[in-house]
Amino acid sequence: MADVRRRRGFPASANDKELAAPAASPPTPRYTATLIFGSLCLAAYIALFARHARDLDAELCRSIAISFCMSVGAFFAVIRLVPVVARYVLKRNMFGYDINKKGSPAGSIQVPESLGIVTGFVFVVVTILFQIFCFSPDSAWLLEYNAALTSILFMILLGFVDDVLDIPWRVKLLLPSFAALPLLMAYAGHTTIVIPKPLRAYLEVEVLDLGVLYKVYMGLLAVFCTNAVNILAGVNGLEVGQTLVISSAILIHNMMQIVSSSDADYQQAHAFSIYLTQPLVGASLGLLCYNWYPSSVFVGDTYTYFAGMTMAVAGILGHFSETLLLFFLPQIINFVYSIPQLFKWVPCPRHRLPSFEPKTGLLTGSKDMNLVNLFLRWFGRCTERQLCIRLLIFQGLCSGFCFLLRFLMAGWYK
Amino acid sequence: YNAAPTSILFMILLGFVDDVLDVPWRVKLLLPSFAALPLLMAYAGHTTIVIPKPLRAYLEMEVLDLGVLYKVYMGLLAVFCTNAVNILAGVNGLDVGQTLVISSAILIHNMMQIVSSSDADYQQAHAFSIYLTQLLVGASLGLLCYNWYPSSVFVGDTYTYFAGMTMAVAGILGHFSETLLLFFLAQIINFVYSIPQLFKWVPCPRHRLPSFEPKTGLLTGSKDMNLVNLFLRWFGRCTEQQLCIRLLIFQGLCSGFCFLLRFLMAGWYK
Repeated sequence: MADVRRRRGFPASANDKELAAPAASPPTPRYTATLIFGSLCLAAYIALFARHARDLDAELCRSIAISFCMSVGAFFAVIRLVPVVARYVLKRNMFGYDINKKGSPAGSIQVPESLGIVTGFVFVVVTILFQIFCFSPDSAWLLEYNAALTSILFMILLGFVDDVLDIPWRVKLLLPSFAALPLLMAYAGHTTIVIPKPLRAYLEVEVLDLGVLYKVYMGLLAVFCTNAVNILAGVNGLEVGQTLVISSAILIHNMMQIVSSSDADYQQAHAFSIYLTQPLVGASLGLLCYNWYPSSVFVGDTYTYFAGMTMAVAGILGHFSETLLLFFLPQIINFVYSIPQLFKWVPCPRHRLPSFEPKTGLLTGSKDMNLVNLFLRWFGRCTERQLCIRLLIFQGLCSGFCFLLRFLMAGWYK
Repeated sequence: YNAAPTSILFMILLGFVDDVLDVPWRVKLLLPSFAALPLLMAYAGHTTIVIPKPLRAYLEMEVLDLGVLYKVYMGLLAVFCTNAVNILAGVNGLDVGQTLVISSAILIHNMMQIVSSSDADYQQAHAFSIYLTQLLVGASLGLLCYNWYPSSVFVGDTYTYFAGMTMAVAGILGHFSETLLLFFLAQIINFVYSIPQLFKWVPCPRHRLPSFEPKTGLLTGSKDMNLVNLFLRWFGRCTEQQLCIRLLIFQGLCSGFCFLLRFLMAGWYK
C-alpha cells in the first residue's frame, strides 16, 4: 500500500494550532531527473506523432496537439501548486516520515502527504477545459467524456477521503466499483471478445458475446487498476514513475492503432484515450518533480487511486482493456506474488518494506513477498534511488515485451 | 445530463478539500466556476430570456438572446448558490434545514410545471430536476437526524457546497433558474445585508455569531450584519432551537411569497 512507507501524522482541527508542525523547508523540485525520465518515456510517442501527423485527419491531429499543449500547461500548473498545497497540508498535520530513511537525518523530516490532490485537481480542470475545444454540446462523445470525468472525480474524492480518514480495506475494495458505475453505464461498445485462434477448435465459436459479464469484467478491471498501482509502492517516486511508464506505453499503443486503422470510430476511441492520458502524464510529471528521490512530498492514496482509475477509464472507453492489462504486467506479478501475505496464509507485517541501514544508505530486502523486496534479494543491496530506477526499467521492459507479444501474436492470435 | 454528477462530484471534492485544508476565500470563490464548467458545456437549451411585459415598450423587443452571457449567468448562479447556503449558517440545523425548505419548493414547482404543461421536453427537464432534488432531500433528511439542535455532527463546507451546487444544477438543467433565484430570496437578503462586512467597509470579525449566555441558554444578537443576528435583534433573545425554527419559517414564507408572486405576475409578467 502506498501508505506503508511512513508513520503518519493525523489531520488536526483548525484549533490545534499549538500542535502544528514546525516550519519545514519548502519542497524542492528535481527538474533534471524528471525531465530525463519524462523524455525517456515520451520519446517514442512524440516521435510517432511527429512522423505520422500528416497522415492523420486534420481535425484529429489538431485535437491531439491541443491536448498535448494543455498537458504541458498541466505540468507547469502542478509545479506551481504543489508547494502551495504542501503548506496547507502540513498546517493540518497531514504528513508522514520516510521509513526508508529511518535512522538518518532525512528520516525525521515531516513530509507532506496526499499531494496527489493537486495532480487530480489540475487533471480534472484541464480535462474539463479541453471539452471547449473539441466537443460540441450534442456530441455523443460528450456523454462518455463526462462519464469518464465523473468516474475519475469520484475516485479522486475517495482517494482523498481515504488519505484523511483511513478507510478500512474491505470498504476500499468496494468503492472503486461505485466509482466505475458511470463508466459502465456509458459504455456503448461491443461486449464481445474475440476468441484466440488456438482455442477456437475447442470452444467452437469465433466471437463470444459476454454481455453483462463484460461489464462485470470492466468493473473488476477498474478495481484492479486502482489497487494495483497502490500495492507496488513504498519507494520514493515509484507510484508516479510506474504510472508514467504505463501511460507512455498507452500513448504509443493509441498512436499506433490510430495510424494503422482507417475506421473513424476506432480512431476516435483511441484518440479519446489520448485525451485522457496526455493530461495524466503532464500532471504526473509535475508531481514527480517533487516526488522523485529523495521525496519532498508524498503522493498519497489520492494519487494512486486517481492514476489507476484514469488508466482503467482510458482502457475501457478506448476499447483496449486487454492490452491495458498487459501493460500492468509488473503490477500483476507483484499482486500474485503478494497473495500469500495479503490473504494471511503467511504472516503479513504492517509494512512490507526493506530494511534501511543509515550508515551505508543501502536497502536490504526483507523476506516479504513483493516485487520491491524480491529485486533487493535477487540483485543485491542498493540505494533507494537505484532500486526505483531498476523497478522502472523492469516496468519499461515489460511494456516493450507486451508490444513484442502483440506483434508476434497478431497474425497468429486473432 | 451526465454533466450533472460531474459538476456535483467536483463540488463535493472541493468542499471536502476545503474542510480539510481550509482553502483561502479568494480561491473558494473561483472554484465553483470550474465545477460548473461541465454543466455549461452540456447545456443545450435556450439562451434567451423573455422580457417582462412592462419593459417591452422601452426595450422594443419581446425576447432577448443572451447567448454566451447566459452561460456566464449560469456560472455565476452556481457560484452564488454554493456560497449563499454557506453564509446563512452558524446555527444548529440551519444549513440542512434551509436546503430542505428550498428543495421542497423546487419539487412543488417542478410538479406544478409538469402537470400544467404538455410539452414532453419541458416535462423532461423538470423531471430531471425532480430526480436530483428528491435524492438531495432524502440524503439531507438523514443528515438532519444528527444535525438538528443540539447537533451531534457538523455538516462542514462539504455539505453546504454540495447542496448549493445540486440545487443550482437542478435549476440550470431544469430550465427554471430564475425561479430558483426567487427561492433563494432569504439567502439573497442575507448576502446583501452582509455586504458591508464582507467587503470590510465595516469591521468583520472571524465569526459573525450571536453571543451565548450559559445561564439562561439564550442567544443575544450581536451587531453583526447578517440575518441570524437581525432576527435576534428584532424578535428578541431566544434559544438556538427557536432561532433556527424562526429562520426556517421565514425561509418557508419566502418560498410561499415566491409562488404567490409567480401566480400574480403570470398573466401580467410574461
